[in-house]
Amino acid sequence: MSCVYEIGVCILKKVNLGLIGLGYQGKIHLRDLLRLKEAKVLGVADVSEKALKFAKKLGVKNVFADYEDLLKNEQLDAVIISLPNFLHLEGVVKAAEAGKHILLEKPLSRNVEEGEKILSSIRKNGVRLMMSYGFRFHPALRKIREKITDGFFGEVQIAEATNVSGGPFASRSDRVGPVPVSSWWFDKKLAGGGALLDLGSHMIDLLSWYFGEVDDVESYLGYMFNMELEDTATCMLKFKNGPVATVKVGWFSKDFMQSVQVCGVAKNLWVRISPLSPSEIVWKDVKRKFGGNKANPNFLLLEYFVKCLQKDEQPRPSGEEGLRCMQVVSRAYEKALKKSCKKPVMEV
Amino acid sequence: MSHVSFVRVHGRNYVSVKRAIEESLELVHSNFGGTADRIVIKPNMCYYYHPSTGEVTDPWFVGVLIDVLRDKFAKDSEIFVVESDASAMKCKHVFPMLGYDKMAEEKGVKLVNLGEEKSRVVNVEVGDAQFKFHIPELFYESDFVVNVPKLKYMGSVKITCALKNMFGCNAFQRKCVYHRALNEAIVGINKLIKTDLVVVDGLVVTGKYTKRLDLVMASEDPVAVDAAASRLMGINSKSVKQITLASREGVGDLVFSPVGDFSYFAKKFPKKGMKDNVREAVAGVYLRVFHE
Repeated sequence: MSCVYEIGVCILKKVNLGLIGLGYQGKIHLRDLLRLKEAKVLGVADVSEKALKFAKKLGVKNVFADYEDLLKNEQLDAVIISLPNFLHLEGVVKAAEAGKHILLEKPLSRNVEEGEKILSSIRKNGVRLMMSYGFRFHPALRKIREKITDGFFGEVQIAEATNVSGGPFASRSDRVGPVPVSSWWFDKKLAGGGALLDLGSHMIDLLSWYFGEVDDVESYLGYMFNMELEDTATCMLKFKNGPVATVKVGWFSKDFMQSVQVCGVAKNLWVRISPLSPSEIVWKDVKRKFGGNKANPNFLLLEYFVKCLQKDEQPRPSGEEGLRCMQVVSRAYEKALKKSCKKPVMEV
Repeated sequence: MSHVSFVRVHGRNYVSVKRAIEESLELVHSNFGGTADRIVIKPNMCYYYHPSTGEVTDPWFVGVLIDVLRDKFAKDSEIFVVESDASAMKCKHVFPMLGYDKMAEEKGVKLVNLGEEKSRVVNVEVGDAQFKFHIPELFYESDFVVNVPKLKYMGSVKITCALKNMFGCNAFQRKCVYHRALNEAIVGINKLIKTDLVVVDGLVVTGKYTKRLDLVMASEDPVAVDAAASRLMGINSKSVKQITLASREGVGDLVFSPVGDFSYFAKKFPKKGMKDNVREAVAGVYLRVFHE
């Protein structure tokens, strides 16, 4: 991305962004994008009229029912794709062919094969792809990585990452009651996987960021809700660098819990991301109100993506990292399949 | 004055639960004289929750109840287990997820999404409020309606039990449109569809926290059941608008006579206290101010 010289100072050009998909996560992205000083939202696309009304209400002038119309805009530098899993491949290919850089909502794809097609399209068209793994931008979880790198833990032996909630079936807010769930979440072919793909990929990416390449995987899947998709997954990851980590994820709970534990020879640490206590919620809101968005992982992720584009750098997690995560997820499904009579969910 | 029975289930197995349901019905002298050709059973399947959360009626409990009904008077009856699509919940997903489809197959009963059934649009007045409900034809063609609710706190209407559970019999999907006058709407649907028997699945309840209460409650009067439930939950039934309104509108009797272990369950129920209510109110105001 070029810079504009004003009075001899290089001022980085604002990045023109488009947003494709205004579901639950898409709306969060839009709210945060509109607060980004370095970016300008040129348009959004969604099939839902209600969602487009929401965007207009927030001040977005150009809204499209078909995202291909949005991609026609030549001023657009990049798009954020927040579509359902089964539309990731098509969305990325079209955006890449239109020459737009991409921030893609996790997971990369429904399976490894689709992921490879996505990456080949990215390479072919010479655009940049970043995966939207928000945990990497959580201040407390970033600090853990710094501590690992700094040797605070000594040699890390054991780690654990937990992400348990109702998944797409969670009532997202106690105040508004249960929320509708899009039908693709119930369909194995469309979703590609259940809790392991949806929440597990988050935790696997985080742990891979901490410890590097995964050497071996063991996994167990649970199906307490009689769905084709697993609602529980427990995986053990053996990293080439030594540590063994467990990933515990589930869509089964009315409550929620996100935490990370790292045990090393020198120190142990347990970080709870959620649920927050009432005082922690108030403190977080105060920080957001008066301290800007420094504590908002999604905002930090978007800000980082935009800055990388301004500096013409490859943002991380890259598409390759997204694919490596998919390969681990795929191995976890294969291993679990051997232990159960359930059909593999990664078959699409 | 209506009788409401409270029976303790000793052990979580088929025989104990069946015995408890039978005892609860005997205590309220449920009259099963004659036969019923078509029986409608309405459990609570409000969302994609697991029955062990206490939020939805356990399909296993409904299965045992079906066996009890068959033994008592419905040997050859056609039995329908019903629910309707709501704003956030779809029957096509909730039936298999909660295990109702398997139960229906095992027990030889029909699982019905009322939203897909023929229905009549019926007007009803409750006090000064007027409502239109889509009442499924199935209710006009059935002989006996069994309401199998859960026992829960619910912010805007204080409690949800027998009266509120019937709200799901309205075939109209976007039920959130009634939420502005929810108490009146609950009473309205209960005026249109008469409940013949209420059997509360109190095996697990959602109070201040989820708890295995091992309770079966039964009555022929939904208002009496809700009055008893609210007392059990530590709420004065006269402060619950849906109960007082339903009583005024002739749906049932606000005054109930408890039969069985009422005091045991009243002691064991995980009640919300004043502190919890204040905390919830403060949180509600806070969320409205800072998160909207």
